[in-house]
Amino acid sequence: MRKLVVYNTLGFPNPSDFTAFIDGVRKAGADVLEVGLPPRYAKYDGPVIRRSHEIVAKFGDLSGNLGEVARRAEIPVVILTYLEDHIDHLDQFLDSLKKLNVEGVLFPDLLIDFTQQIDLVVSKVRAHGLKNVLFTSPSVPDSFIKRTGEITDMFLYYGVRPTTGVPIPVDVGALIRRVRNMVRSELVVGFGLSGDKDIVSALRAGADGIAVGTAVISELEKEGVTEGLKLVSYYRGVIDGV
Amino acid sequence: MKRGSIRFKMGWNYRGIGASFAPMELDPREIVPQFWYNIIPDLPRPLPPPRDPPSAEFSRIDLLRDIMPEEVLRQQFTVERFVKIPEEVRERYINIGRPTPLLRAKKLEEKLGTPAKIYFKYEGATPTGSHKINAAIPQAYYAHNEGVPAVTTETGAGQWGTAVALSASMFGLRSSVFMVKVSYQQKPMRKTIMNLYGADVYPSPTELTEAGKRALARDPNHPGSLGVAMSEAVEYALKQRLKYLVGSVLDVVLLYQSVVGLETAQQLELIGEEPDVLIGCVGGGSNFGGFAFPFLGHGSKAKLIAVGPSEVPKFSSGKYEYDFPDEAGLLPMIKMLTLGRDYVPPPIYAGGLRYHGVAPSLSLLMQEGKVNWREYGEDEIFVAAKLFSEAQGIVPAPESAHAVKAVIDEAKSAQRNSERKTIVFNLSGHGLLDLSNYESMMKRFGG
Repeated sequence: MRKLVVYNTLGFPNPSDFTAFIDGVRKAGADVLEVGLPPRYAKYDGPVIRRSHEIVAKFGDLSGNLGEVARRAEIPVVILTYLEDHIDHLDQFLDSLKKLNVEGVLFPDLLIDFTQQIDLVVSKVRAHGLKNVLFTSPSVPDSFIKRTGEITDMFLYYGVRPTTGVPIPVDVGALIRRVRNMVRSELVVGFGLSGDKDIVSALRAGADGIAVGTAVISELEKEGVTEGLKLVSYYRGVIDGV
Repeated sequence: MKRGSIRFKMGWNYRGIGASFAPMELDPREIVPQFWYNIIPDLPRPLPPPRDPPSAEFSRIDLLRDIMPEEVLRQQFTVERFVKIPEEVRERYINIGRPTPLLRAKKLEEKLGTPAKIYFKYEGATPTGSHKINAAIPQAYYAHNEGVPAVTTETGAGQWGTAVALSASMFGLRSSVFMVKVSYQQKPMRKTIMNLYGADVYPSPTELTEAGKRALARDPNHPGSLGVAMSEAVEYALKQRLKYLVGSVLDVVLLYQSVVGLETAQQLELIGEEPDVLIGCVGGGSNFGGFAFPFLGHGSKAKLIAVGPSEVPKFSSGKYEYDFPDEAGLLPMIKMLTLGRDYVPPPIYAGGLRYHGVAPSLSLLMQEGKVNWREYGEDEIFVAAKLFSEAQGIVPAPESAHAVKAVIDEAKSAQRNSERKTIVFNLSGHGLLDLSNYESMMKRFGG
């Protein structure tokens, strides 16, 4: 079955609604929950997700809530955070994630800004009992795409647009066909997938799953948890219908 | 392509006469490629993508949707190694005289007494006098297809503005060009050509935009810079709801310019030559990238040399970091070798090289040591330009004269080491509209 990966920023739209959301996300059809920790610089995030970071900042340090997330979600939890913020104390950071029963970790800046340290970081993640979710994008050359396909543990996350939630025109099918031919790992496509058409193109071009973030955050912000979960169910339906 | 597929109308041995061939003797369709080449899939490491700055009040990446033709943006972000050239664009390429000739600089070789063979791709043979038209035609074509009535852009030396003016007129679009003031003053004929093609030309900084007003407030005698002119054109496109055509730096422009290198590779193959050294000058990087990247992607072992002016020392003094391509910071940040977006280059003779940054893919290749660089000053390139003009008859654009200077140095080194190597360079434009600059150089450095 094709995977639905659902993103939410830790504590968004507020700590109690966040809990309600993770309680319902599996039932709504998600296979993996991706939880974003607000970074110092959200390099690859668009305005909607950046705003979610600002909103949760009001609630102070929410990292204590992470333990509850993995327990309540009942599906694998992947932490999305920028390596830049953790590189100086990486062991300590990974250790804390493991203790909270997190399954995997995704650093979107690993390939771009820490090219020389890819193997080191990947092995550290494994040494702490966590799984790697490698992030790749269209500006990554073929040789690196092949390599990431070999070393990722859970799946390969392919961000097809330069920033989340901004519908820059791209040929989703062409982008995925390029990568599909190079990797055998599971391929989950995200980053600004805008609407059903993109999702259908992605799956038809060979994606094994879809990641949704901005649309869910927007719905949570505007309409609340019930509608946010309904949107997750809707995406499940789109994926299963292809 | 098989050599036998070329339709020779005359039974000449082109190798024997020291020129690759005369374009009229061949079917241009055999040389003008059907696909553009994109180097990104073949880079040695991941190319840092464009980014929005931290704490951005708006998304610059999102803003690109308002200012660029949709298909151009799609090609910028849909990374594929080969991109099909639309037949109508290919026809226009042929109509303006592509393929441009690949010529052997035999008389320059003799003057230098070098054992090296020197070839040059002559992009000055296009109607606008430089390679710039290669990237303007597809952008104007896509804008026209999308129903856009008018386009705008900036220009330094005037080469890009001229290319946009002509391309716009080809597809029935109106055009306006913000021309760096110092070039506008130095090269009034450039304005005349653009006007002739139907463009409106404004000396930048202008009072038409906030970016222009800010620059003038800082310095009422601001000489202008490509960064300021770019900010003006982007702002003007937003306000007037026009499309902005990109002249250099962005990956998509290097993609369009790959037609230069792809043709050169084909032409060299026809005469049985392999380049040992490839040389081009760098303003934003589109001429160099377009010329050299197809060779690099094809696994050529040739040494690549990018050449810039010592007066704008971005190779020697630039930092490899995220910066804005435009002075006002309206465009997304890109990681490149840069002197800083607020750097105001001195009003030098080679307007096309007065830019603070270098295209991201070229910057990355320079960081990785795959592309070498040289920087030369005005006095040095003047001597090179004069020597080349006397030997070959073609007056190079002062920008291209930087490449000529590097070629001469390489040829002399081949002479010292008795190496019979093949040097190929891109003569990106002619200098027939730069004669006032040359006149000034003759007065200062002696004729």
